[in-house]
Amino acid sequence: METLYNVLIDPFVQMYGMPDFFLQVLWEGLVSGVLYALIALGFVLIFKSSRIFNFAQGIMVVFAALSLVGLHTFLVPFVGNEFVAAAIAMPLTLGIMYALAMSVERVVLRPLVGQPDIILFMATIGITMFLIGFGEFVFGGENKVMITEALGIPTGAIEFEPFGGFLLLEEKDVFAVVMAIVLVISLLVFLNKSAMGRAIRALGDDHTAALSVGISLSTIWVLVWFIAGVIALATGVVWGARAGVSFALEVIAYKALPVLMLGGLESVSGAIIGGIAIGLLEKVFEIYWGQPLFGGNTETWFAFIFALIVLLFRPQGLFGEKIIERV
Amino acid sequence: MKHFTNLGKAVAAGALAVAMSTAAMAADGLNFPNLTYRTGPFAGTGTPIMNGQRDYMLMLNERDGGIGGVPIDYIECETGYNTNKGVECYEKTKGEALVTQPWSTGITLQVMPRTNVDRIPILAPGYGFSPMSDGDTFAWAFNPPVSYWDGAYMILDYIAGGDMSSLKGKKIVLLHLDHPFGKEPIPLLEKLAEMHDFKLVPIPVGLKEMQNQSAQWLQIRRERPDNVVMWGWGAMNAGAITEAVKTRYPMENFIGIWWSGSDADLQNVGAKAKGYKSVSFNAPGNFPVLEDIRKHVVSKGNSEIKSEADMDTIFYQRGIIISMILAEAAKTAQDNFGEKNINAEQLRWGLENLDITAARLEELGMKGMTPPLKMACDNHTGHSGAWMLEWNGEEFVQASDLLTPNRELIKPLELEKAADYAKNNAPWPGRGDLACN
Repeated sequence: METLYNVLIDPFVQMYGMPDFFLQVLWEGLVSGVLYALIALGFVLIFKSSRIFNFAQGIMVVFAALSLVGLHTFLVPFVGNEFVAAAIAMPLTLGIMYALAMSVERVVLRPLVGQPDIILFMATIGITMFLIGFGEFVFGGENKVMITEALGIPTGAIEFEPFGGFLLLEEKDVFAVVMAIVLVISLLVFLNKSAMGRAIRALGDDHTAALSVGISLSTIWVLVWFIAGVIALATGVVWGARAGVSFALEVIAYKALPVLMLGGLESVSGAIIGGIAIGLLEKVFEIYWGQPLFGGNTETWFAFIFALIVLLFRPQGLFGEKIIERV
Repeated sequence: MKHFTNLGKAVAAGALAVAMSTAAMAADGLNFPNLTYRTGPFAGTGTPIMNGQRDYMLMLNERDGGIGGVPIDYIECETGYNTNKGVECYEKTKGEALVTQPWSTGITLQVMPRTNVDRIPILAPGYGFSPMSDGDTFAWAFNPPVSYWDGAYMILDYIAGGDMSSLKGKKIVLLHLDHPFGKEPIPLLEKLAEMHDFKLVPIPVGLKEMQNQSAQWLQIRRERPDNVVMWGWGAMNAGAITEAVKTRYPMENFIGIWWSGSDADLQNVGAKAKGYKSVSFNAPGNFPVLEDIRKHVVSKGNSEIKSEADMDTIFYQRGIIISMILAEAAKTAQDNFGEKNINAEQLRWGLENLDITAARLEELGMKGMTPPLKMACDNHTGHSGAWMLEWNGEEFVQASDLLTPNRELIKPLELEKAADYAKNNAPWPGRGDLACN
């Protein structure tokens, strides 16, 4: 009886009894969800255009953030100003991500055209290993501080007093949410309105047909990997601003896996909605059911269980395409 | 066919030459492998410590020609703090090893049974399994100068102001990594909670949640604990301190174990973390030993530190202390056995009979850097105590006199858990043929 009360009644009593706290839980879930969605988008874009599940997306987040911080540290003594150094380091980092995209296409993907998907997936594991080693060789393994203030990211907090309690929004988190929304809208406009965006979608729909009308596979792959690199940089900046820049950021990419299961590997809107849904649900579940009933740390498995339940009913995910293969 | 025969001879000759050179190297050097983690999510903790360890050993080689004139063969094998890789590294380095330094509670627990068979001492300073202190059960394992249970007691004693009964009715959160290391203090804290009638709330942090602990800190906000004690490693520390600042938890009530007190973790939030504390078996300062390292290693470009400022950090200096403990154990063994090229069994004796007095610390240029340390057959930890350090917004400063653990309280629990371990891993050799002298 007590268990039933704890499962069915108590969580809602708590939500009603401490509404300010419930709002804080929702806000934290939303922030996490938006960031999961950002990471998932990187996976989706590459999968959509090339059918490659990019295992390297997590390490690209680390590599982009480390490049930005490393370049900034290198430039400050020369330019004598943190803000100017950041203004130079940012385009240079984008340049590095573009060079990475070019290298991946030339060295890894182009020689493997036509190979089974699993070979390309294995190749992205190779890219991960290379970036881990190269990143540690160049930047070292120690924690670094994200150049939050030099980038102009606000670091204060906004406090509200709803229902006589308090709700605290970190300006960094507000920035992260706004930036993610801008990035997603820009990406959707690019994919839907530009010629290149349409080419990416065409490749996603049918490789052979897209190639037959003159779409360059190489150009699209470089572009897509570069966009994934830009997303990785944005993710690295906002996650790095929260808890520093280290190789631990890589594990955050694994949080995107249930998002992809839920939203579907090919759907941009699936990644966004799936990310936000998982961020919100796992936080609410952890606070109101996980901690009292399971001793906490349910965030490590909740999203996977939730995604598995969804897959039972929709194997292609919420927004994935239903594939019918004739044999 | 003849070609193959010649090739076979060449390979055999080459192998023999390699084997002979390896044997010669082994005979000429003190082989001290270190299972490092300079990579991966925990590198933030590992890198400065490994730099300190390495630089002290290199300094001894440069300044003194090693230990007792025998050069030190300091070898690193990278584990990334991964238990499977740690076991591989142990197997790979054990051939000529005089010691193994596993650098993770998980790896320590995995290799412990093997070291009994391989007869190689484990040196796990400030980590590992607290009952390792019982040398009669764990003859080959050492965790000086203080164990996690010592650390847990000292933190609570500091919170209680020396009077544990004052904890009655309080609520204390243990924010811990969901890993053998993070769970290590729970048995002692549960016992203390029962004895002194305070509420203990363990809150685990998963490896994937280290960078985003908002759920854990929302729980802390809801629980409104009097104090938060942190058992964090690597990226978990910076994540927790950032969230504590964000949720406006009073930093003066937030205390970490010694692995949660790295300068790099605190620099991420700087002045906002002012008041945060960490118990530590090394005190910060400008000690003469640092000058020797600067002169013989850093200025020659042989260190892996990024700048000389790294030498002032708590973790770098802790690495020096850890290597000093190993070097002094080797010296103790050399002096006792009258042999310069000691073996692993002799080093084990050196660790068991280690006595680093205040006078010896002064000779080493480390007066006040760490407490004097004395070990014994039934005391493989030393339990020499620690200081509370406080973050002043820019750096850690000493905030207490030397704190010491309550051995009368902790030792029975150590013996009980050591006996349980031996029973669960029967037949456990215990001290076996090793005499206590």
